[in-house]
Amino acid sequence: MTEHALPRRAPRPRPVAHPNGWWGMAIFLASEAMLFGALLGTYYYLRFKAVHWPPPGTPEPKVVLPLILTAVLVATSVPMQAALRAARAGRLGATRLALALALTAQATYFGLQMHLFLGDLAKFSPGEHAYGSIYFTLLGAHHAHVAVGLLLDVWLLLRLSTGLTRYRFTALWATTFFWHFVNALAVLVVLTQLSPSL
Amino acid sequence: MAIEVLGPRARERVGRLDRIWEERPGLIGWLTTVDHKRIGILYFFTTLAFFAAGGVEALLMRTQLASANAHVLGPSRYDQVMTMHGVTMIFLFVIPMTIGAFGNYLVPLMLGSRDMAFPRLNALSYWLFLGSGCLIYTGLFLNMGPDAGWFDYVPLALKRFDPGLNIDFYALGLIFNGISSIAAATNFIVTIFKLRAPGMSLNRMPLFVFAMLAVSLSLVFALPTLTIDCVFLELQRRLGFHFFDVGHGGSALLWQHLFWFFGHPEVYIIVLPAFGIATSIIPTFAKHRMVAFPLVALAELLVAFIGFGVWAHHMFTTGLPTVTLVFFAAASMMVVIPSTIQIYAWTVTVMMGRPEFKAPLLFIGGFIAFFVIGGLSGIMFAAIPFDQATTDTYFVVAHFHFIIFGAAVFPILGGMYYWFPKVTGRLYHELVAKLSFWLTFAGTALTFFPMHIVGLLGMPRRVYTYQGGLGWGAYNLSETIGAFVLTAGLLLIFGNLLWSRFRGPYAGPDPFFGGTLEWTTTSPPPHYNFAVIPRVTSPYPNWDRADRDEDARRLESGELVLEEGHETPASTVRDGYLDEVLEMPSESWWPITLGLLVTVLFVMLLLGHFVVAGIFGALAVLALGGWHAQEPAEA
Repeated sequence: MTEHALPRRAPRPRPVAHPNGWWGMAIFLASEAMLFGALLGTYYYLRFKAVHWPPPGTPEPKVVLPLILTAVLVATSVPMQAALRAARAGRLGATRLALALALTAQATYFGLQMHLFLGDLAKFSPGEHAYGSIYFTLLGAHHAHVAVGLLLDVWLLLRLSTGLTRYRFTALWATTFFWHFVNALAVLVVLTQLSPSL
Repeated sequence: MAIEVLGPRARERVGRLDRIWEERPGLIGWLTTVDHKRIGILYFFTTLAFFAAGGVEALLMRTQLASANAHVLGPSRYDQVMTMHGVTMIFLFVIPMTIGAFGNYLVPLMLGSRDMAFPRLNALSYWLFLGSGCLIYTGLFLNMGPDAGWFDYVPLALKRFDPGLNIDFYALGLIFNGISSIAAATNFIVTIFKLRAPGMSLNRMPLFVFAMLAVSLSLVFALPTLTIDCVFLELQRRLGFHFFDVGHGGSALLWQHLFWFFGHPEVYIIVLPAFGIATSIIPTFAKHRMVAFPLVALAELLVAFIGFGVWAHHMFTTGLPTVTLVFFAAASMMVVIPSTIQIYAWTVTVMMGRPEFKAPLLFIGGFIAFFVIGGLSGIMFAAIPFDQATTDTYFVVAHFHFIIFGAAVFPILGGMYYWFPKVTGRLYHELVAKLSFWLTFAGTALTFFPMHIVGLLGMPRRVYTYQGGLGWGAYNLSETIGAFVLTAGLLLIFGNLLWSRFRGPYAGPDPFFGGTLEWTTTSPPPHYNFAVIPRVTSPYPNWDRADRDEDARRLESGELVLEEGHETPASTVRDGYLDEVLEMPSESWWPITLGLLVTVLFVMLLLGHFVVAGIFGALAVLALGGWHAQEPAEA
């Protein structure tokens, strides 16, 4: 019993390392980063082989609305982080309020993005040219991630309606991490999407 | 730490642990289990079945190729059998055998933990793996098996040239399989970071675990590109997208880039666990700790890292710019450095110790021999002109079988003998084991060595037959004879293990005086692995007798026995200081339920019933909700 005496149970009231759930999310997001890396890499690989990008007859992407929407999405990192802080301090009401606020903005983003997505589909299709294929696949993958984040938010709000536990706190922590990742990625995705017009 | 020397209080604590960790008996217990050892055993027998299937496919091909113009398999069947042999051995045998079976069973034991970080996710990985394997094999049984090679190059794999469901089985099967592998890899990384026994700082972690960490990191970073590649392929085949056809702005080489960005790290994913097994077996039988321990640990991680920068050496004949070729050739040469560090470390450890050449060490000897031969032909490919001359010939087949069979599977076979007493509590038959080694060794050399020569003589790979009079006949016949000798050796191994399972003498907890923590507990280990959480002060904790005597004393006094709940300790990530005690989930129906739903989802995608697939996707989300409704009790 030299360096550290072993106690019967936990040595400290609060652990110093991040919880398993946080680590699991971190590793999962690393693989997600590779997934989007492959999608973005494909976009530029196809683009630099093409003479016309987008091909003639396909409209260039509209810039203003997607950029504003992305700014709104990125801003939701603030209420997500606020929810996490409030939960750490044990303030359940503030946690739920901040989370609901974030959810509202994210859902608005998702709704408007889907509107734009369907509008684009009416103009050109993924079956016409490689440009359309990677355009819709990249955006579709991004929107799918936002949709998963929305589901996580709704599920968290439901769980938090019956109180805060350590398990739910870890879930909130991991979900916040997920949103920070999706938001950072949204910037790369939108800049790539709009790159022909920039 | 034998049960009979326990004092009354210790015996009471062990009894309580037995009751808390016990799982339901019978079939239901196996279906709902979250015990990493039982999941490891499930993986073992499932992958063994796939290994048998892959082996039969190999024998069918060798029988077809034994003589010129043979008629055992027609061209279409041959293509399916060849593709399925590759897909099976890589995705359904070596990876799940090393990670799923060996990793699952051994990593928590070596770390001194009572389970994996996410026990239910662990079970889910297994059920998803089983579902994906069955899905891919359904194709073969319906005569619609994947038939464009395991690398599945476009444009051959596009709808125009391959209109059946064959390639859809491949693409969807591998996307499905990838989910299972990512889940497993994530689980291993978190387990390795967080669930090490108190005192096991990173520099005291067993080298086997370092190898599993390197493999898991490789999987996490490499698999997504394969998944995306297969998604692109399915979108193009099913919905008319244009990723790979040049006529619509796509690129056929895009498939190869994405595939090999995954495919080369994959080679190290296959062979790194073998390194880990070698670094477990050698110190035990040489009775000497691994020399250059930190260098070997770093080399294992470095192999995995460099593996990400060499993918284009699979594409030297595709017309890439010379600058690109030279870069990738140089990067490929670099792999030699960490590989050589390890080869020297293994051989020097054997020389420094007093080696006892029991069967497991013999298999490691065979592994080193084959790894050197396969490594030398590997270096030859880094010379671009040589690669361009021998690409698509049997020389390549010879090279990668020396690596994938000689270097990756031999340690697996040695590891089966080595850990057999731990898993079953019985000893294998040593003489038969040695005989089986020599038979397997001779069979492997006879099967794969002539492929070098016949390749240099110009025989192309992937052909279903060949003309007579080209001087290839004798080599091909000897390869076929070798394949049957090899099969006899493998059957002898499994016969030995099967016989020993029921008739072998009892092994006791530590028949070989191994150094790592799995040898400190009983054989087979109890559900909770360790009656008292061990405390670690060196990389070979089972050789620290004072620490282990201290464990027995702590069991009596109740320090870190954790007999009040379904619990295991978690440590800090780098230093391994005891950090908290975690309540672990017990047996659950959710993993198999979710596995089943996702399997149906993929079957529906395959059949083109997208709405039904969506319904099952929604059900899977609901199942996840149910899964997470069970929360651990608050302390």
